[in-house]
Amino acid sequence: MSTSRTKIKKIYPGDVAFRIFNTLFLTIFVIITLYPILNTLAISFNDGTDALRGGIHIVPRVFTTKNYQTVLQRQALKTGAFITVSRTVLGTVFALFANAVLAFIVSRKEFVFRKQLTVFWIITMYVNGGLIPTFLLYRKLNLTGTFWVYVIPGLVGAFNMLVIRTYMNGIPDSLEESAMLDGAGYTRIFWTIISPLCKPVYATVALFVAVYQWNSWFDAMLYNRLRPEYTTLQYELMKLLSSVMNQNTNVESLKNVQDTVTPTSVRAAATIITILPIVCLYPFLQRYFVTGLTLGSVKA
Amino acid sequence: MKRKLTVMALVFAMLLAPVLSACNNGGGGKESGSKSNSAGKDGKQEITEFTAFLAVPGSEVNDDNEVKQIIAEKTGYKIKETWLTGQTETEAIGTMIAGDEYPDIIDGGVATKNLYEAGALVPLDDYIEKYPNIKNFLNEEQWDSLRQDDGKIYWIQQFGNIKGEDKTTTQTMGAFWIQARVLEWADYPEIVTLDQYFQLLEDYNKANPTMEDGTKNIPYTILCEGTKFFCLTGAPLELAGYPNEGSVYVDEETLKAVDYNTTDMTKRYYKKLNDGYKSGLVDPESFTQTYDEYIAKLSSGRVLGMHDQGWNFSNSVNAALTQAGLDKQGCDYIPIGLVFDEDIHNRWFTRQYTINTASGIGITKDCKDPDGVMKFMNDLLDQEIHDLRFWGVKGVDYDVNEKGEYFRTKEQRFESTNTSYRATHLCPYSWMPQYEGTSDDGINANKPSDQPGEFYDGLNDDIKRAFDAYGAKTYIDLLGVNEPAGPWYPLWTYSNAITTSTPGGIAFTKMDEVFHEYMPKVCIADDFEAMWDEFLKTYEECNPQDFLDEIQAILDKRIEDHKQYEN
Amino acid sequence: MAIAKAEKPLPKKKKITAKTLKSQRALLIAAAIFVIYGIVFYYVPLVGWLMAFQDYSPRLGFLGSEFIGIDKFKFLFSDKTFLRVIRNTLAMGVLNLVTSTFMAILFAILLNEVRNTRAKKVVQTVSYLPHFLSWIIVTGILHDVLASGGIVNELLLKFGWVDKPVNFFAKPEWFWGLVAFSNVWKETGWNAIIYLAAITSIDPSLYEAAAIDGAGRWQRIKNVTLPGIRPTIMILLLLSIGNVLNAGFEVQYLLGNGLVQSVSQTIDIYVLRWGISQNDYSLGTAAGLFKSFVSIVLIVIVNQLARHYGEERLY
Repeated sequence: MSTSRTKIKKIYPGDVAFRIFNTLFLTIFVIITLYPILNTLAISFNDGTDALRGGIHIVPRVFTTKNYQTVLQRQALKTGAFITVSRTVLGTVFALFANAVLAFIVSRKEFVFRKQLTVFWIITMYVNGGLIPTFLLYRKLNLTGTFWVYVIPGLVGAFNMLVIRTYMNGIPDSLEESAMLDGAGYTRIFWTIISPLCKPVYATVALFVAVYQWNSWFDAMLYNRLRPEYTTLQYELMKLLSSVMNQNTNVESLKNVQDTVTPTSVRAAATIITILPIVCLYPFLQRYFVTGLTLGSVKA
Repeated sequence: MKRKLTVMALVFAMLLAPVLSACNNGGGGKESGSKSNSAGKDGKQEITEFTAFLAVPGSEVNDDNEVKQIIAEKTGYKIKETWLTGQTETEAIGTMIAGDEYPDIIDGGVATKNLYEAGALVPLDDYIEKYPNIKNFLNEEQWDSLRQDDGKIYWIQQFGNIKGEDKTTTQTMGAFWIQARVLEWADYPEIVTLDQYFQLLEDYNKANPTMEDGTKNIPYTILCEGTKFFCLTGAPLELAGYPNEGSVYVDEETLKAVDYNTTDMTKRYYKKLNDGYKSGLVDPESFTQTYDEYIAKLSSGRVLGMHDQGWNFSNSVNAALTQAGLDKQGCDYIPIGLVFDEDIHNRWFTRQYTINTASGIGITKDCKDPDGVMKFMNDLLDQEIHDLRFWGVKGVDYDVNEKGEYFRTKEQRFESTNTSYRATHLCPYSWMPQYEGTSDDGINANKPSDQPGEFYDGLNDDIKRAFDAYGAKTYIDLLGVNEPAGPWYPLWTYSNAITTSTPGGIAFTKMDEVFHEYMPKVCIADDFEAMWDEFLKTYEECNPQDFLDEIQAILDKRIEDHKQYEN
Repeated sequence: MAIAKAEKPLPKKKKITAKTLKSQRALLIAAAIFVIYGIVFYYVPLVGWLMAFQDYSPRLGFLGSEFIGIDKFKFLFSDKTFLRVIRNTLAMGVLNLVTSTFMAILFAILLNEVRNTRAKKVVQTVSYLPHFLSWIIVTGILHDVLASGGIVNELLLKFGWVDKPVNFFAKPEWFWGLVAFSNVWKETGWNAIIYLAAITSIDPSLYEAAAIDGAGRWQRIKNVTLPGIRPTIMILLLLSIGNVLNAGFEVQYLLGNGLVQSVSQTIDIYVLRWGISQNDYSLGTAAGLFKSFVSIVLIVIVNQLARHYGEERLY
């Protein structure tokens, strides 16, 4: 868009008002969304017992790194981090591929079962057999107690698929038609024509899947409860939190003793540790949906 | 584009690298661990590890935990414990039953009986006879109370068992609490009734409306968030002089279960709160505050008094008050055994082992070596191992003086509550059978928190002054020790495990909803009488009689069952 | 200037012939794989719906448990509380849907208008971060801010708009608004990502054309950006309408209390209380079945409406 900016010379009176309004709106928005993060950060670096008294905003009152130590010292955290990174990478790659292919199929206007296939998948969004039948199914499929229980069941998600499909629908048909005339098959159209244009939506869906994978812990608890080698980062953090929480109400230690970490302070540290890698990787995806692509080639 | 990809690959590699190398290290650590195992193995048997799932939230210990390792070398066994996270116990146990796959050892919490009904547990009778420590852990009547329909025992209730002399020092259960500074200001008066208590709070607050730094005092606050609702509704039962049975009291002459929620006594309690709310004595945020806000208020030292159970607040609040130096202002909390009228005898604390038959530790059918598990549990009750579990390693976690008394230095006491230290060093097997009371040596308490010297040393000065004024050595002395309740006690073991599969259970669940909505409304109502009547009307619609009938049947059965053990 | 997304000619009524099947062989094979996958992972577990008509016990399983017909549904629909929680769930679902969709679109569009790339990136990064905070943290902060000594009450008192602190959490009439606000606060930046991606697909030359035609900022938003992301808006709206009964339970549980109980309880909270925590799987399944039914009916209706008005639709 920046290329076209030079051509827009005329300034309209409404534009100034717009700019003021926009700056104001976004500034307020940034402040109210930044506050909870800064608050969490402050609490994560504050002595837990001291934080109990409340009143911490964006600066720690009694600085400590004890909360982080408590989290990072957890033994199984390394295994959990390894599994989480693995499932995030593998899960995202596979799920993105599967969703893209399915979206490609249902966006083919000539496909005979297009509508039926779409409806088949939309229904999956709103029906749910429940915990126990799902658990039994995964057991029958020998997925429980394995790493693949994190990847295979979540391969296709109707929501992500439909997001990609909608984007694909917006791509002019003329491109594919000319390719078809050149004798290109579906595989080639998918890889060389459609996919390069879908980068922004692929990036979006990849982000959604990756974040889902990164944050998951319930499946680790449910399907790999007794398999510590497949624990995930978030599950370990959940267990740590409940350990600290339990300890604080433990009848045995009802004395005036000073453990300086509390559930709140540990939760804050765990949250920051969770967010950090995402924040680091995000800029690489962000370029696809903030700066925008020049779809000039589309018209060619 | 290519450069971007390279950068991304690098970032990934950087993220993965420590993880991968950490794993290698971990592997290396494991190897050396097993080496030390085999070294210890030379003269002994190999170490067997059992898996356990305990359907309660708990503190996990590391696999290479030091005390765990010591116990393993002494006994040949260890247990890998997994605790409940993010699910209800019935849900977790339900999934396990559906999947028909279990760890070796299990405590299903309120869902323990479901495990038995699903055929997941093995009978323990033969093993109990075989191992003396376990056999002696409970008496004949208690063992019998654990028998299921087929006459066999499937789980062992692990808590509360007092060995020898009871040494409890701290009120972990309910009480009305008051700050030491209030008592000191009034020159440590004798406070017996609810009216006196509120009068004192009011007088103090009138004379001292703020703390030293000018923060306004909050005379009385109430926590009523979700599951902590007992802080509001639990009080009238004990104010009326009955032990805490949960949802009813038992008339000891007619042996009838009586619903206490609608009695005139209870109404008096809510009237008191309503008056307090109107006069500003009761914190206006009482009915909307979260647990965190409540703890923050108590920790700031502003709150003069409240009704709560000790375990629900003391640990974190005491630590925060001490750390902020608020004990110097006398902000520590002291329990008082209040009643409605002076002629009522309080029942806030009793020395009584009450066995909760609804849950306990069991062995599943998937366990390959049930005998080994029972042997290990037998060893865990051995005094030497018991001391390792709850006191730690001698010379490291505690020391012994010339009189043979165990004691801990300030540092040792501090370490014992340090989260990381507990995970790497201490291993109480906190959900396995255990004793309260006194050690076999007749000197020491089975648990450090009950050790008299240990206890008094750790107290802040404001509490010591109050103790001296009232001639008390422990919190329990302040409340007084009272006669145990009847053999049916406590009825909450039944009502806590009740489900909606019976009319009584449905009534109970509905009643609970009504309490959550109406008790706060009653407290803040402009027209107390009208709101109270509305509460009664709505309450009646839940058919509380269904629930009372069921609990009466349980009461009758417990009394009947007990008869054969008399004399 | 050509409009890139010209109306496409509607595909002719498809006729399934051997020839078309043959030419679409690759699509058919791939589709078949996806159908098998979908059946296994999404449709087979629906056996669990049997539980709604049973007195299910994990021990006896789906085959062994006793069938009790529609007793569980009778129980639900004869309970005044259940009818009330349906109302609450619907109200919060609709309010959340409207506010969060509106805010996400507004935010995406306004952000897109920022010319400074660096500022744009920073704002966007900050805005999605609250998505990663758990509800317990977000509601904790909300409690802080709205407490009697919190900043909001302080300001209200300072300006003399109230004479004593307002207890926001004690007022049933405020509750749905609080939930909607929390949702917007936590999820706007995150929800906007999808719209930002959609905006990138708009041909920049359209903006140039509009500018040359003399369109100001507002005009360009109205005539280029909004039509450009319209299909995405429609699809997401249609999908979320099917989800209005999934208003959740966590935020309501964390913000609620006894005084607002009559407006705060959702279907999920009800199921947790009467089903799951009581070991009654059948009741939870019955409620889930009801929700699925409502969702699918809603989807069919709104999809028909979309078809009628010529909007982008789901199928």
